[in-house]
Amino acid sequence: MQRISRREWLRRIGLPFLGAFGAVVVACRSRVSPVAPEPTPSTGAPAATSTPPPAAATATSAATTAASPSPAAAGPAYLAVARGSSPTANVEAALRAIGGIERFVQPGNDVIVKPNICVAYHTPEYAATTNPEVVAALVRLCLGAGARRVRVMDQPFGGTAEEAYNRSGIAGAVQSAGGEMEIMAGMKFASVAIPGGQDITEWPVYRDALDADVLINVPIAKTHDLAVLTLGMKNLMGLIEDRGGLHPNLAQRLADLTTLFRPALTVVDATRILVANGPSGGNLEDVRQTQTVIASHDIVAADAYAATLFGLTAADIPATRAGAAMGLGTLDLAVIRIEEISTG
Amino acid sequence: MIENLPRRRSVAKGRRRQRVFTWVRLRRLVQVLSLLLFLYLLLATKRGGVTYLPHDLFFRLDPLAALTPMIAGRQWVAPLALGLSIPILALLLGRFWCGWLCPLGTLIDWTRLRRRPRRDERDLPPAWRGLKHAVLLTILLAALLGNLTLLFLDPVTLVFRSATVAVLPPLAALVGRIDEALYRIGPLQGTAEQLDSIARRGLPLDQPVVWQAAIALAAMILSVFALNAVRTRFWCRYVCPLGAGLGLVSKIAWLRQSVDATACSSCALCAGACPTGAISERRGFVADPAECTLCMNCLQACHRGAISFHGHLTPAPWESYDPSRRAALGAIGALAVGAGLIAVAPRVLSDATGPIRPPGAGGDDFLDRCIRCGECMKVCPTRGLQPSLSFSDIGGFLTPALVPRTGYCDFSCNACGYACPTGALPPLSLDKKQRAVLGTAHIDQSRCRPWSQNVDCMVCQEMCPLTDKAILLEGGGKGVGKRAKRPRVVTDRCIGCGTCEYHCPVQGKAAIRVRRLGRGNGV
Repeated sequence: MQRISRREWLRRIGLPFLGAFGAVVVACRSRVSPVAPEPTPSTGAPAATSTPPPAAATATSAATTAASPSPAAAGPAYLAVARGSSPTANVEAALRAIGGIERFVQPGNDVIVKPNICVAYHTPEYAATTNPEVVAALVRLCLGAGARRVRVMDQPFGGTAEEAYNRSGIAGAVQSAGGEMEIMAGMKFASVAIPGGQDITEWPVYRDALDADVLINVPIAKTHDLAVLTLGMKNLMGLIEDRGGLHPNLAQRLADLTTLFRPALTVVDATRILVANGPSGGNLEDVRQTQTVIASHDIVAADAYAATLFGLTAADIPATRAGAAMGLGTLDLAVIRIEEISTG
Repeated sequence: MIENLPRRRSVAKGRRRQRVFTWVRLRRLVQVLSLLLFLYLLLATKRGGVTYLPHDLFFRLDPLAALTPMIAGRQWVAPLALGLSIPILALLLGRFWCGWLCPLGTLIDWTRLRRRPRRDERDLPPAWRGLKHAVLLTILLAALLGNLTLLFLDPVTLVFRSATVAVLPPLAALVGRIDEALYRIGPLQGTAEQLDSIARRGLPLDQPVVWQAAIALAAMILSVFALNAVRTRFWCRYVCPLGAGLGLVSKIAWLRQSVDATACSSCALCAGACPTGAISERRGFVADPAECTLCMNCLQACHRGAISFHGHLTPAPWESYDPSRRAALGAIGALAVGAGLIAVAPRVLSDATGPIRPPGAGGDDFLDRCIRCGECMKVCPTRGLQPSLSFSDIGGFLTPALVPRTGYCDFSCNACGYACPTGALPPLSLDKKQRAVLGTAHIDQSRCRPWSQNVDCMVCQEMCPLTDKAILLEGGGKGVGKRAKRPRVVTDRCIGCGTCEYHCPVQGKAAIRVRRLGRGNGV
């Protein structure tokens, strides 16, 4: 066996190590920095975590989106709204309009889809939990884009996860779509620093949600006494521990959490919305059939649009305001390119 | 007739002993199978679980657990009639339950430190054996008066309850810790995930361990095992009320041990092999059928083939320790004193409101029928049901009580009523269960943050599972001098499920707490 000098050995070991370390540093930076658009790779699809700065959208015409490398008007919409009787068709159309699932999910990705499955009390008609067809359609799209694994999960506050997964209809729909339902095990929670946080700088969160390649946030639009509405940002609360402790100064803390999770895609399920007695509901009279799906990479814009379904504006939702103030997205629906689609 | 088979010397030297059928081996096999069945039913008894035999099979078979709630509750429960089968079989086979089937008996056999008694060991005073008869008599007489408190001494409830409260939760916590450690080591994450999903099938992972209850019940069953060190099967000889009852029936059992006096050399090997000390030289090494568990050890111990088991038609002689009229009267006296004390205790501690009962448990009916088996605690998905150790509830010692800070009564669950073997908790449809009132929530304004600190918090209101929320947020304002919205309980609507108390973010004692209703928890 050939003998090598100490210096040679160090060089051989050190270079790959330095390279790996550098890659980790870069990867970490892109996750935690609030608005740090990465240079768009020349291969076309922009990295899922990069959010276009709202300023860019404001400066140019509404037809131009910063996420698109080409300034052509035919580029993907900033936000898409699909209306129609089929939730699956709505999801597919909305995703197509914002650039296709391939913009967010690369082949081999580990994807987590986070619907709202807050209680085990009611079936989907009561609009307390995300529509199972919407979740399943997303799972199918991700798998179609070559995702290695698609996991769906939430932490109900009323009833066990198993029961809630089943009663919401999400377990059945996801499994037949080829996804996995994951019970959020206590072992996977760990306290994590929130470098971008203004009010909270550390919180125990579900580590897999940070480690996954892609996090897709699928809230259902509902009323909520303290948060006014529970939408995309509020839905991220299902990924943390000590949820009770988040309630003082809830809006700012939700914005702080959003800087940590940075979901690549937010799909607001407004197939049915709960207009009173949220979040757990239980009365069909409080449910409106709005037959709508909203999709955007911008969680703030998606929430802002969803608020209009309740006759409110984004300014009425404290968390959305706080998110916009932190530069997490835009509240101003007038300056972004919105594509509205009817799927019949 | 069972006789010892001729002893065969192992022909092949060394390596492999010839497998010989012996009655002791068969008994041990049956014990293992019976315990495995017990464990299977224990683990499969969970919410939504499916068991391929009745989940409460052992409670139905155990005559003490099956028949006393019928006496105390003055009700006929058809599935529990299976409890008659063991005493009827005991007429044929004596205390075979104790030696062959009882899960506690098997565990006691496995936890003894010495296989044989010390050479100079003497039997404890025979009168001690009368203790178990006293326990049995007290249980039966108390059952006639509608009290089942002492049923916590039934061997099957003892094992099931201990496993549910004192073994599985700490075991789950341990597995959880191992999982967590594995998960932190990158390459082992997959292993940790697999372990987690396997363990989750049988163990209550991610649920709190209530150490107060766990330690109390662990101490109880460990002392039963520890008494083995005093005398083997101490519990079965001196304490077990079920053994006492089966023993009395066995006095006239058909199958009994007998000794061929002409072959016996009085070597006393059989007496040394007997785990319950049933064999005495005084009786010419004939076992007292009331104490014999048919373990067949003596059959194997006898070198002369003098021992056999065969049919008898005349009753066995009454021993000095068997219950006399005096003992029975003593038990009645003790019972009167005990009943008086239990009746007095709640008044002495009248400031306590008493435990919150599971849904559908109506006051007295519930105590008449609850055998403290722990089935409801086993199926409770939140572990909110805990054994009552409260002094204000001495008559309900170890009965289930909802502890909302540990776990709330899940609005989507009605498992406990279906798990209860005796009907102490009625099986309620989900709709009925959701209207069953367990108690009422009260806000402690000095702890509640909106009330005492003017801080926004509405967790209790959010968590209330009722469609017409039993907690309302009132007041509030905007701008300078703004006041936080304050929660108020609508007493008429509240069902006392404790979801609000469980989730209350105030550290320590919750700012909203459920109190039991004055009397009864009617549906």
